[in-house]
Amino acid sequence: MSLNILEVKDLKIGIQQNKKDIAIVNGLSFHLEKGKTLGIVGESGCGKSMTSLSLMGLLPSGVNWQSGEIYIDQKQINKKAKKEWRKIRGKKISMIFQEPMSSLNPVYKVGSQIMEMIHSHENISKKEAHERAVDMLRLVGIPRPDKVVNEYPHQLSGGMRQRVMIAMALACGPEILIADEPTTALDVTIQAQILDLMKDVQEKLDMSIILITHDLGVVAEICERVIVMYAGEIVEEANVLDLFDQPLHPYTKGLLNSLPDIESQQEYLPSIEGVVPSPSDMPSGCRFFDRCEFATDKCKNKPDLFTTSIGTTVRCWLYEENEVVGGIGNGQSIVRS
Amino acid sequence: MGSPLLEVKHLKKYFPVKGSRTGNLKAVDDVSFFVNEGEVLGIVGESGCGKSTMGKTIIQLLTPTEGEILLNGENIATLSPKEVRQKRRDMQIIFQDPFSSLNPRMKVFKIIEEPLVNFGIGTKEERKQRVNEVAKQVGLTQKQLERFPHEFSGGQRQRIGIARALVSNPKLIVADEPVSALDVSIQSQVLNIMKDLKKEMNLTYIFISHDLSVVHHFCDRIGVMYLGKLVEMADKHELFNNPKHPYTKALLSALPKSHPSKVKERIVLSGDVPNPANPPSGCTFHTRCPSCMEICKVTSPRLHSIGDKHEVSCLLYEEQMERLT
Repeated sequence: MSLNILEVKDLKIGIQQNKKDIAIVNGLSFHLEKGKTLGIVGESGCGKSMTSLSLMGLLPSGVNWQSGEIYIDQKQINKKAKKEWRKIRGKKISMIFQEPMSSLNPVYKVGSQIMEMIHSHENISKKEAHERAVDMLRLVGIPRPDKVVNEYPHQLSGGMRQRVMIAMALACGPEILIADEPTTALDVTIQAQILDLMKDVQEKLDMSIILITHDLGVVAEICERVIVMYAGEIVEEANVLDLFDQPLHPYTKGLLNSLPDIESQQEYLPSIEGVVPSPSDMPSGCRFFDRCEFATDKCKNKPDLFTTSIGTTVRCWLYEENEVVGGIGNGQSIVRS
Repeated sequence: MGSPLLEVKHLKKYFPVKGSRTGNLKAVDDVSFFVNEGEVLGIVGESGCGKSTMGKTIIQLLTPTEGEILLNGENIATLSPKEVRQKRRDMQIIFQDPFSSLNPRMKVFKIIEEPLVNFGIGTKEERKQRVNEVAKQVGLTQKQLERFPHEFSGGQRQRIGIARALVSNPKLIVADEPVSALDVSIQSQVLNIMKDLKKEMNLTYIFISHDLSVVHHFCDRIGVMYLGKLVEMADKHELFNNPKHPYTKALLSALPKSHPSKVKERIVLSGDVPNPANPPSGCTFHTRCPSCMEICKVTSPRLHSIGDKHEVSCLLYEEQMERLT
């Protein structure tokens, strides 16, 4: 068993509307192993971005962290202590955002933005920090790093800006990198470059990555374990191979089926009917109830997460009987769809 | 297949660049192609390659700098603005962003009805009937027609956009990234609706997208654009199985894997797309091309047929052709 660098237990995030608590993220628990890449997949509004912001202590005002614990290196983080967060952010855990243009400050040079980050964590001279900034830019594959360090974000292309974001995130050698849709705003050829770069620096720096995305193709590229989220809850957690070979939850199956595949010749894409329910109007039982083709009366009660023999956990009553009691791999029946 | 519904000949759209000596940004540069009736032509390319500008120029939301656009044999590029407006009955556009392309102060019914009012089609009663009919086709309920756009999700708004485009019974639809802003599960719903409507109304689509797998699913023929030029055009199976242009090859190899255990050989292009206001000399792709030759830096290739309805614009194949002839 390798070390869990990050553990999240029963995370609940909510907003208040008309004096009612509305849960955006409802009881999320997961862990990240050292040196591994965990994917969090889900559609817009499923709470994946809020989850990542809460891991950085950056929840926007109006959004409340209602309960839950976060452990980094087995040490619990006090969610209220701003000073403590400031020490962790950037040093232990870093983040890159979806939109590289709006997450860089347009009036500062690229170099000063990276140096600001270094200076806030380390007590080193300006010259050293500047050198480090150039080194980081070189590491992320920016041509002419000694020139680019003195340029402004608007002088760079989208792919280059995302590289700068990655350089900044890595400047203090964090152990965990959270990448929130890092390639969504980029073209496919640039996306391929950035994904390669992330794999590359992960190996070099022995980093653990949480990749948040809606794109199952990106997940197939670089993740080892995957969490599928739906309406603020985990519906399935599996190894990436198992997820693609034997998806269990009807939602996961639907998602995988609705992807156009260049090797198949189907005329119509299977689709999941309906839309994600709004957070203020969640079904009390299974949250996928209205859209699920396998829904039964039982689904009006909230399903638990069941662990199956292949090690996939799934939140669906269909797999209740297949739950493995007493751990994984004790020879019980394998669940097949 | 029928006769070409739309034929585009040497279409150019230049934008003036202020304070630049070289003059113009060549967003669309000498593009020629045709679309048959009932066909779906896909246009793929990365951001800034001019694919959206081309779509807008075709339906005359932008005036072309040069070139002909023949709709059913009639050149619409030389028509007066008034005549163009009438022509738009036959050609409509679906926009990418379902949030900014609907007027937030109009009810959905009014939004869908507006083209009919503009073209002076039918009486009030007839228009109402037509709107209801189209709304039903795209899966909007009667009740929803009385709401405002902000009350809808992205997928539903895109349905409204589609209904608005279809209400005047057009022949040609330019769909400019219609599903890019949508989640995958919603994306497939919208694509299926567009496919159904094509059959029911015998539509012809020009489908502009950056997503190769969506284009492969939806289109019959595909054109690949790079920096304002068409670099390759072929039947979709031909293009995916036998890509010729180095850029097309790289694009196809950059597609994310559909399964994690697949091994994929990847051609990673170095660098970014050059600034279109100042494109490289010769072949515009030569700065990133893995098979660049000396001649590519000075000579620009032309789109020419290499058989089997497959056209490519690359000197690698032009030489081959010369040797053969």
